[in-house]
Amino acid sequence: MTEPLVLAMLAAPLAAAVVLALPLAADRADRANALAAALVAALTAAVAVRGIGADGAVHGGWYVLDPAGGAFLAVIAVVGLLSALASPAYLAGDAAGFFARRHARRSYYAAFYVFWAALLAVATADNLAVAWLLVEATTAASALLVAFSGQPSALEAGWKYLVLTTLGLAVALLGIVVLYAGLGAGHGSLATLDWQRIHALSGSVDGDTALLALVLILAGLAAKVGWAPVHNWLPDAHSEAPPPVSALLSAALLPTVMLVAWRVEVALHPAAGGTASALFLAFGLASLAVAVPFLWRALPLKRLLAYSSLEHMGVLALGIGFVHPLATAGVVVHLAGHALAKSLGFYATIPLLRDDPGLASRPARGLSARSAPGAAALTVSLLSLSGLPPSPLFFSELLILLGGIAAGQVVVVALAAVLLALGFVGLAHALIESVVTDRPRLPRAARRRERRLVALTAVTGVLLLALSAASLVIAGSDTVERLMGGVA
Amino acid sequence: MSAGVLWILVGLGLAVVVARRRTVGIALVALQAGVLGVAAIADALEHAHGLLVAVAVLAARGVLLPGLLLAVVRATREPRPPASEPFMLPRLVLALAATVAAAALIPDVGLTVAGAAEATAALVVLGIVIAAVRRAVVFQALGFLVAENGIYLAGLTVAGGIPTAIELALLFDLLAVLAVAAALGARIHEHFGTSDTSLLRGLRD
Repeated sequence: MTEPLVLAMLAAPLAAAVVLALPLAADRADRANALAAALVAALTAAVAVRGIGADGAVHGGWYVLDPAGGAFLAVIAVVGLLSALASPAYLAGDAAGFFARRHARRSYYAAFYVFWAALLAVATADNLAVAWLLVEATTAASALLVAFSGQPSALEAGWKYLVLTTLGLAVALLGIVVLYAGLGAGHGSLATLDWQRIHALSGSVDGDTALLALVLILAGLAAKVGWAPVHNWLPDAHSEAPPPVSALLSAALLPTVMLVAWRVEVALHPAAGGTASALFLAFGLASLAVAVPFLWRALPLKRLLAYSSLEHMGVLALGIGFVHPLATAGVVVHLAGHALAKSLGFYATIPLLRDDPGLASRPARGLSARSAPGAAALTVSLLSLSGLPPSPLFFSELLILLGGIAAGQVVVVALAAVLLALGFVGLAHALIESVVTDRPRLPRAARRRERRLVALTAVTGVLLLALSAASLVIAGSDTVERLMGGVA
Repeated sequence: MSAGVLWILVGLGLAVVVARRRTVGIALVALQAGVLGVAAIADALEHAHGLLVAVAVLAARGVLLPGLLLAVVRATREPRPPASEPFMLPRLVLALAATVAAAALIPDVGLTVAGAAEATAALVVLGIVIAAVRRAVVFQALGFLVAENGIYLAGLTVAGGIPTAIELALLFDLLAVLAVAAALGARIHEHFGTSDTSLLRGLRD
């Protein structure tokens, strides 16, 4: 039953891409999009539940379903659904640019669903080479979406994203070929690079070869995750992409590529020992150190959210690198909390940018006077992202740091704690500057799209609080044990 | 595959670093892909399998992909190379230094042809250098191709070769990425009147 479900999960977004590429009227395309998104999300949720509930990894020949993969699939389902539902509001504006106006909507939806399908496939790929191919496929679809507005800045962002991530992935591919050569068995066989086979065979790989392969693969994937110091495309792409796509990039793409890196770490552990963990910790600390100064600067909203993504990818890297049950519990909570809070932040910018396009290039000020729903959504988003209790990110960061201490990485934990505290102050300051004002609120009735934002803010707020409650019980539960042992 | 062929592959990559015209750069990369393709076909004939795939890869890498880039050149006529590009000699020195360093640092990774690991590392690094020092969109796209040719070389010289499914999927991915690069390149030229990527400097913090 699992295999047909996984197949349906992957086929549904591809079918949606084909249907939505047809020349449909705008309202029909939007309705078809809502229907397709609900279907894809439901199928993905069903697969995710099986993954999370699985006792270890379930290998289905060409796919793998493990507890960690299930958690990532759940996140991709939620963010994909919300982004698809938020897309009509974005497309209702003057969205055409890269594509001819009459093709813009269908090109957007087609690229969006191909991107979503590729993300789902990455999380379930049971083979390193196949996962790489799928990650590369996300680049082609998402680069078009990044440049969708056709503005010069969007073209710049799309081009940087394409060049830097493609070259990074070329380095990762070189690492995969080196690993393939080093594994020495099953020549010409794709199965040699199955996660389980790598884990089983990697102990026999020559030490230098294994180390080189590991470094090349992780360094190449880092360019796609957006870890510092190979993060240059990230702030530009996140700030220039349509907000629903920015949410998908930040909350789904980056963590999904990180899942591949995590699986590489686990699979190569017999050969590389703690080297992979050390690399994760280095990328994590570097990302935090690079992101924090930007969180202190007055930046346009989407750029601020982009640098926050860099910070949170750093936190996730630390959580994975500590290799401790507490930290792993923190990673899962952080993954979900970041996805919810960050997506809400990006969706909040849709009506705000519609009312004042200048906010794309200058810092926001006094939003509460201009749009109470927008200000409320940003407040929930930024407070959560800053890690202020009762945000789940507070608990997840605490779990990760405690995991680090338990793993004996006291210096790394101390540095991370200082950087996280500085990041908190930066984001809190940015929030006050953006939202609070003593000017009187502009009198006007809330518009329809703002009423939807109010509802989304309320739902997200409740989900974030539920996640905070879950974080109090997840540590020490058997879920974490299964997560630790169940990365492919 | 002889040492001479490996030198030719690296030499062609270095020539892309200094080539003045975009069409010359495309021709050099097409020739590089052609050399690799002929080697793949010879290997397939020797082992009596994979001939069809080798021919398909040669056609795609040597004809289709360069053809796509030539179409971009035709659609984005430019009288001269971007003025912002570093001079030829510094470009060449940097590329040579990076190539030598990459070849010297890579350990023996078990490829079946002596010198293939060094040539692979050199080509991947050259691809990155080309994307970094060349300013025209087409040259940066050629950087991907040079790097990918390096990896293809590794795939040809690994024992037993890389799986056919991966080889074909890789080609499809490359085609998709290059098609997107071509579309973006055409739009960049349309907006800026040039494909000089040094003009893409609006996004700064």
